[in-house]
Amino acid sequence: MTLLQIEDLKCHYITDTGAVKAVDGISFGLERGEILGIVGESGSGKTTIALSIMGVLPANAQCSGTIRYDGTELSSLPEHEKDTFRWNDIAIVFQNSLEVLNPVMTVGMQVCEPMVSHKGLSIREARKKCAELFSRVGLDTVWMDAYPHQLSGGMRQRALLAMALSCGPEVLILDEVTSSLDAFARKELQEMLLDLQGGQGYSMIVISHDITFVSSIASRMIVLYAGKVMETGPTQDVIRSPRHPYTRGLINSTPDIFIYKDMWGIPGESPTGEHHAGCPFGARCTQSIDVCRQVSPQLTACGDGREIACHRGGIATLMAAKSIEFSYHLPDRRSVRAVDGVDLDVGEGEVLAIVGQTGSGKSTLAHVLAGVIHPDSGEVSFMDGKVHGGNNGHGFGGIQIVFQDPFSATSNRFTVLDAVREPLDINDIGNQEEQLDMTKNALELVRLPSSDLFLSKYCSELSGGQRQRVALARAMIMRPKLLIADEITSALDVSTAANTLRLLKGLQNRRGFAMIYISHDLSLTLKIADRIAVMKSGRIVEVGNAHDVMLAPYDEYTKQLVGSRIGFCCHSHHNKKT
Amino acid sequence: MSVEQPVITSAPHPVNIRKMLDGVGNTTSKFTIEGKMAMIGLLIFVMMAIFAPFFAMYPPGKITGESLEPPGSAHLLGTDELGMDIWAQICYGARTSLVIGLAVATIAGFGGGILGILAGYQGGSIDQVLMRVIDVTMSLPSFPLLIVISAFLGPSIFTVIIILVLFSWAKPARIARSQTLAIRSQAYITAARHYGANPWYVIRKHILPEILPILIVSLIGISSYAIIAEAGLAFLGLGDPTSKSWGMMMNYAIRFSAIYFTPYWLWWLIPPLIALIALLLCLAFLSRDLERVLDPKLRALEGVK
Repeated sequence: MTLLQIEDLKCHYITDTGAVKAVDGISFGLERGEILGIVGESGSGKTTIALSIMGVLPANAQCSGTIRYDGTELSSLPEHEKDTFRWNDIAIVFQNSLEVLNPVMTVGMQVCEPMVSHKGLSIREARKKCAELFSRVGLDTVWMDAYPHQLSGGMRQRALLAMALSCGPEVLILDEVTSSLDAFARKELQEMLLDLQGGQGYSMIVISHDITFVSSIASRMIVLYAGKVMETGPTQDVIRSPRHPYTRGLINSTPDIFIYKDMWGIPGESPTGEHHAGCPFGARCTQSIDVCRQVSPQLTACGDGREIACHRGGIATLMAAKSIEFSYHLPDRRSVRAVDGVDLDVGEGEVLAIVGQTGSGKSTLAHVLAGVIHPDSGEVSFMDGKVHGGNNGHGFGGIQIVFQDPFSATSNRFTVLDAVREPLDINDIGNQEEQLDMTKNALELVRLPSSDLFLSKYCSELSGGQRQRVALARAMIMRPKLLIADEITSALDVSTAANTLRLLKGLQNRRGFAMIYISHDLSLTLKIADRIAVMKSGRIVEVGNAHDVMLAPYDEYTKQLVGSRIGFCCHSHHNKKT
Repeated sequence: MSVEQPVITSAPHPVNIRKMLDGVGNTTSKFTIEGKMAMIGLLIFVMMAIFAPFFAMYPPGKITGESLEPPGSAHLLGTDELGMDIWAQICYGARTSLVIGLAVATIAGFGGGILGILAGYQGGSIDQVLMRVIDVTMSLPSFPLLIVISAFLGPSIFTVIIILVLFSWAKPARIARSQTLAIRSQAYITAARHYGANPWYVIRKHILPEILPILIVSLIGISSYAIIAEAGLAFLGLGDPTSKSWGMMMNYAIRFSAIYFTPYWLWWLIPPLIALIALLLCLAFLSRDLERVLDPKLRALEGVK
């Protein structure tokens, strides 16, 4: 049953310059014995929620909405009655810092204090209880007589936890409890909290920007952005396949979840709380449409106990391929089926890697998806239009493809300028100067010099890495919504390949385009891919979250492929969960 | 030079003209000594043809001296049986040879080249049909047919050009087609088409500039073939009798009864023969050098940069 129910909670901080909407209409419920995680970047309103539940918001805060605890409406209670709920029913563990504890009182005294004032215990009884609590949180009782500054960060956090537990509350609110803890202390705290929840039936709300910590203990999580709920759902599902672009960005910024993947922050700044129409994440979103700028999306259920606030219904499908087939006809009238009934979809801003051996049909599939060759049967749709017979490469915001061989990707006779601006030339975009500017920008984007000297160089004078980047600049000049990179690093040496790949992923992150990355190199794809599709003899045998595919493959072929990696060390990090 | 002139003017893009001029300069500087000599020789022939009235001193079709005068100060190479100046005839003959060589090479080379590019680019049935036509054209015995057709159509410089074009377009077409097929599969063509380039753009910007050097070499080959064929036809009496041509001169000289019993053949038969051989040698050397410089495969083999 729902222990704590929050409905349409709004908290505005009134400042001299206007109102800051810290929390903007949030509703959620906490079941008995559940751990609920609330994550979000700093400034997203997490702590304000905690404070408003506790009823200890600063004086300049204006709150509306209902907070119901076990049937009792908390927000309408007079202050002294709220007080009985605090500590006795709901207790908060503050973020560890020296300021939270009184520096001139011993830690023991501070833990005893709420027991004396709320439960009416005598000092002696309280001290006895305090010793119990200390051992429960794994703190030696000798520290009861120590002053806060004499304790380490981890110890202080335990003391704060003991303080929160002192009056035997039902609900614990933990606000950024891990931020100053080292890895060991964090791990101990995680185990302790799980023990408190499992063994002693506490309900908890864990508030943190540390998505790793939250995901390791919470069974359900709420993703908060600018005072609004972006996505909620069972933790496993949210982490494995985030539906909201913001959630995905948050996960991509976290090194611990998918440990082989490079981390990339969400570009842009989070809003500072000024009033604005439309989706709060709109400005940083890669898939925002007109309605996103005008109306703020409502949280709506999307199945499997998940809810999401997005006009596009979460990460939108950018490209979908259905039963694609393609055969090559050999001169002796035999034909080779290179792509054999492939279904595939790519979301907005997603990096999908297609991995497979040489000759598995990856490149053919890439060409079909780009619309460069026509499939024998099947259909590829891109942003609600068909790819074949369409003109997705002709204008801005379409599909672009970068080819495997840098030396044939650009003509030897073309200068860098001519090569990069060719798509503009073909489509009659801009005059000479505009084209020159755009070319220079594109070259800067791919970290190539944009000097006149370089612009007038012939492509044949460039190195493989440079030529590949020129080809990339040519693709980028069309500002693609989907970039298909067909083994673009295979012809380059390791260092150049690493640079090119990081550059590409950086561009992807910054520009927010989706990418299909074709490769035979598993380790490389693991660094950048959100999802991996494994291809064998023209079929996709397995597709899923990059780490799942790589660390726990279910298909025999994928297992072989994973096993064929040199120096692979088996790591089952994220399987250790509640 | 003269052979390259039309190439420059028909360059596909104004910006490319400068590039191509630079290219011509670069190309000639990489020539061997024979190649350079051939260039100079060719230049002399071109001058002779253009400024024929100026060089010749006499009009070629007028009787300006005694019959069969030996070479002397009045007539540099003497006169023929009608008393017409041999040197003047050689000069005007160069005109005929070069015009026919140039015209045939240009029409057959570019016409065939464009046909080949289109067939190679478009593929499919157009390609199949063209290939069969090329096969037929190339397998026909050209010279006997030439003789028969020109005998039928009657002698005129225009018919000669048309006939020669009909027999020499196949080779450049075949070269252009195979090159187009090779270039068409390059990734940058795929990219350009993906960006929405129409066939015209791809041919103009990518295929034509790459095929041109190879086409030029075959152009020279065609022009020497045309010059020989024209001389041959004229020698057999199938040329235009009103025009002055080296083949025609030899024809008249040979027809002069018992010319070998007289010293006349020395200044009547030998000069047109030497002129013809010299022109063909120049073209051959030039073609060999151009091929060496322009063909990337040969360039790689010889290490020429």
